[in-house]
Amino acid sequence: MNNERLNTITLGLVVVVGIASAALLVRWTDTLRPPVDPNAIDDSLYLNDKTARRISLGFNGLAADWYWMRSLQYVGKKIGNYEGDIRLDDLNNLNLKLLVPLLETSTTLDPEFIAPYEYAAVVLPAIDVQQAIRLTEKGINANPNAWRLYHHLGYIYWREGQYQLASEIYGRGAQTPGAPAWMEAMKAKLLSEGGSRATAREIYTRMYEQSSDEQVRDMARMHLLQLDSLDQRDGLRKLFTAYQARNGKCPESWSELGQIFRTLRIPMDQSGAPLDPSGAPYLLKAGACEVELDPKATKVPLK
Amino acid sequence: MDELLRTLDTAQATTHLARPKPGGSGSLWRMSAIARNAFREAVRDRVLYNLVLFVLLLTAASIFIGELSGGQERKVIVDLGLSAMLLFGMFIAIFVGVGLVYKEIERRTIYAVFSKPVGRGEFLIGKYLGLCLTLLVNVLVMGVGVSVALLYVSRGWDPLIPTIWPAVLLIYLELMLLTAVALLFSSFSSPALSALLTFLTFVIGHFSADLKILAVSMGSTSARWFFKGLYYLLPNLANYSFITPAAHGRTPAAGFVLATALYALVYITVILAAATLIFSRRNFK
Repeated sequence: MNNERLNTITLGLVVVVGIASAALLVRWTDTLRPPVDPNAIDDSLYLNDKTARRISLGFNGLAADWYWMRSLQYVGKKIGNYEGDIRLDDLNNLNLKLLVPLLETSTTLDPEFIAPYEYAAVVLPAIDVQQAIRLTEKGINANPNAWRLYHHLGYIYWREGQYQLASEIYGRGAQTPGAPAWMEAMKAKLLSEGGSRATAREIYTRMYEQSSDEQVRDMARMHLLQLDSLDQRDGLRKLFTAYQARNGKCPESWSELGQIFRTLRIPMDQSGAPLDPSGAPYLLKAGACEVELDPKATKVPLK
Repeated sequence: MDELLRTLDTAQATTHLARPKPGGSGSLWRMSAIARNAFREAVRDRVLYNLVLFVLLLTAASIFIGELSGGQERKVIVDLGLSAMLLFGMFIAIFVGVGLVYKEIERRTIYAVFSKPVGRGEFLIGKYLGLCLTLLVNVLVMGVGVSVALLYVSRGWDPLIPTIWPAVLLIYLELMLLTAVALLFSSFSSPALSALLTFLTFVIGHFSADLKILAVSMGSTSARWFFKGLYYLLPNLANYSFITPAAHGRTPAAGFVLATALYALVYITVILAAATLIFSRRNFK
């Protein structure tokens, strides 16, 4: 083996072994480092939205995407660190104080970027409803023809119980070019039966159909499951009332209603308990004519 | 080996320069020979290797961005692809552009060129066109790359594909402008300083709208005129930024594209004329 070849092999080995050693050292120092306070990164953004736009040169679209993805990662990380189940529209326990500036920056960098406005409209009402309204209105001002933003703003007002205002927003949205006919129907529905379950179902169904964000769709799907479950529980309570009228007592176990469930083709598990929309069996409060979700098994939101 | 090939290229180019194409315009023939040579040199300098990096970037983005962007992968692909096109193109325009003339002087091959009947202006314009050709190949391949990435993420035809091409054209015009600026600076200063000045021109060019606002808000008349003058003097590169609207499926009006193309043409003509003026007076001894 000549000297040159030996040198090549030696240097090659130094590079490979060196990189491997460096990686191992990083892993080791990671274990020695004190744990990071999950709130430590929440101090503030380095740049405010207007400065970010100014210095983005021609890359404002890409910078907006980056801030948008950072918002998703920020919320995702907080949800990941949270012990317990949590829904996208009920994140007020997560201390998401950076979310507003992140979404604000993303939308200032690219005012036509609809996704951050929609995300703000769904996530922020539980945290800071005024900011949710402000960001969604900012989206409407920048994109006056985006009927979906009117739908989201109407949703925020509906959530707050301001049905008259929500109805007006849907009415305004219905006037925009390309708005679907159901926007006009929603306007009327909110006026006549704003707080009803049927209105809620309509809103979440449309949100599920229209949103391109998988998380928003998932949240809407969970609400629809919840609404289905509420309807089912109402139906079961009616059966209990009929059973009580006939037998003079409430049922002690599901098996006493098995024949009725089979007749009505209500899906059941092996023990004869009816299944909720997520496929988990309902719990019967024996002798109390009451039914409830099984918190350990169900995927239907409990509240 | 590369050095030898470059010298051979220069020798080949100077041989071409000595024999003008019969029947053709001598000046055009000489400029095209220099341009072809500059293009070959850029390819030999592995300038187009940036395309490999670009393809890797887009491939990774196409595969992973869906997970990260919450259903916005098409917009992100367009933003990322066109921004990378501008960024990579800017680096090529600056770092290759500032070396176009300097390398010829340093390697002393410029003496071989000027020993033939080649004007200094022809040499500069030929070099400029050669780099513009390199950038054209670069943006075309990148444009195709973005289109393929869109086809991949949309699992078929995507309506954004035709809308990105006007933005690609505007990016190319911006890069042509920037190359001319780099060539101007390199005609009288060192490569490092030229690169810095060109980069600053790129930055200020994107702030031109702010210069106008600054001019309006200034109290004193002289300051107002100064900033107004700067606004008209510096290249207005903000007009060439159409990446973000393209990502939303919007295309610029034909009149706007025509106006920006005309502006680029006029500005490039002015810069190249100034560069030729400076370069003509330069003493290589």
